[in-house]
Amino acid sequence: MNPVVGVAAFAAVSLATAVIGFYGLRVSRTTGDFYVASRTVKPWWNASAIGGEYLSAASFLGVAGLILLSGTDALWYPVGYTAGFLMLLLFVAAPLRRSGAYTIPDFTEARLDSRAVRRVTSLVVVLVGWLYIVPQLHGAALAIRITTGLPAWVGPVAVVGVVCITVVAGGMRSITFVQAFQYWLKLTALAMPIVFLLFVLGGGEYAASESPPTSTANPTALAPAGPYQIISLLVALLFGTLGLPHVLVRFYTNPDGQSARRTTLIVLGLLSVFYLFPTAYGMLGRMFAPALAQSGQADALVLLLPGRMIGGMAGDLLTALVVAGAFAAFLSTTSGLVVSLAGVISQDVFGGSVGGFRLAALISAIVPLGIASMTESLALAGSVGLVFAFTASTICPVLLLGIWWRGLTDAGAIAGMATGGVLCGSAMVAGSVLGAAQTPSWLAQPAAWTVPTAFAVTVLISRATRGRVPRTMTRIMTRLHTPERPLATER
Amino acid sequence: MTRVRVTAPRNVTPNGAGLTGGRSAAAPHVVAEESDAGALFVRSLIRSQLRLGLVVGLGFLLILLAFPLMLWLVPGLSDSTIAGLPFDWVLLGAGIYPVIGLSAWLYVRTAARNEARYRDLAGDK
Repeated sequence: MNPVVGVAAFAAVSLATAVIGFYGLRVSRTTGDFYVASRTVKPWWNASAIGGEYLSAASFLGVAGLILLSGTDALWYPVGYTAGFLMLLLFVAAPLRRSGAYTIPDFTEARLDSRAVRRVTSLVVVLVGWLYIVPQLHGAALAIRITTGLPAWVGPVAVVGVVCITVVAGGMRSITFVQAFQYWLKLTALAMPIVFLLFVLGGGEYAASESPPTSTANPTALAPAGPYQIISLLVALLFGTLGLPHVLVRFYTNPDGQSARRTTLIVLGLLSVFYLFPTAYGMLGRMFAPALAQSGQADALVLLLPGRMIGGMAGDLLTALVVAGAFAAFLSTTSGLVVSLAGVISQDVFGGSVGGFRLAALISAIVPLGIASMTESLALAGSVGLVFAFTASTICPVLLLGIWWRGLTDAGAIAGMATGGVLCGSAMVAGSVLGAAQTPSWLAQPAAWTVPTAFAVTVLISRATRGRVPRTMTRIMTRLHTPERPLATER
Repeated sequence: MTRVRVTAPRNVTPNGAGLTGGRSAAAPHVVAEESDAGALFVRSLIRSQLRLGLVVGLGFLLILLAFPLMLWLVPGLSDSTIAGLPFDWVLLGAGIYPVIGLSAWLYVRTAARNEARYRDLAGDK
């Protein structure tokens, strides 16, 4: 592959990101601007931004790669990623917006009237964020290595550099515009090559090198997933999405609860359209490039397929587009996570000033860079799936019970988060120590038992400490669930 | 219905920066918080929103789980094709998304209606 193509695409995306970021600098001045874009972002912008932020390396590269590897079983990933937003809409979107809190720790502290809960939640949020940034950086390493031939570390370092510059410069306001732009870039980058490929295929110039894809014909010897794995994966994805810090922080930029719901509805539409394309890539990959799976480069399928099937100038241009889309994916998810982590860290450690926010942003980006340089990712969609399992076992029970159950106490919340975190965390560590081949399925996909356990512990300990239900509970519950006054009459 | 004036100071949240933005403290919330009738309305609003969420969520999950069940129970279905594509790919790769969208749309509409009913009851105009 022509290395200039990859470098040029990455430079163009970084430049566009930085330009939009600096444009944002002129409109964000106060701390409120930095955190939540002053809550004046329109639903369409906001929905595009949420889509842009949510569609990470796992969606852009990982889903197609996993479909290439394991066929129909992998189709559950995009379904779960999308359906997770349905759960978010049903149980979290409007109440969380109405809580008026900036971050998840703000929410749990206000709901449970406890500093201790705040500290535990902050710890979990930062952990989730770091775990989630690492696969993005692995994706960047892969993309740089495949498309430019440069050493792999250049990718993560470049992504972290660009993210730090944009976040430090503009905060959330500019991030909103950057993210919205990046959703549409990612969609175009995936859709255009597919259209071209189908055009080429329709011309009949290309003969399938393999039999058409079926659920039984996997190019590798991976065993098909059983019902347990599918159910556990769905539990992780459905309940993990509603605890993701970078997704939740977006809801605070809606003006009210109703518009938070409308935004989520649009997001669901955007995600549904987007996920058609990785699926199409996976399918074409199984037909025309099954060798990628055997050589352990399945995650690079999206980057390599256009160049392989369409040669010459057109192939180079389409490859450049896909590489640009991939970097948009790494940049947008990483910057979204860095903004929300920086929000948490700066409020808890630096007292919430703008300068503290900038310092916190640097910390939030550089730690995962260190982790990423010491680890390796085998399948991006799989490692992100594990982060969803962790979120579903820790933040999700506290959030759901906090919004819908009057009996939640601070002791119950802390016990639940600790239990879920320890169980799911040990399963993840055990899985990486044993290696993918030796890990039994109940350890490889722990959500099916860690999530119910975390819920059960939260409820039982809350029941046992029911005297600790905060006195502010009724007032907060009212605030979470009653509609805001119509804007026209608000003073 | 009785409207009760609140004389106690409005609560200051533990984290001053956290919960102040966006909303002004307004009379209807006062009704909701302080009177028995208001508390009842709020409870019934929360219950109906939760019931709605659970019904839509469970309905969606049933449809989702019916997909693999159908493929497993109906012999030959997983080998059949639609427009040259395997049936299960069309079903999971594309067919499920309209179901998600429809569930979401139904929910948003009904949730807004629940809130409108609460507004009428609580006299929030």
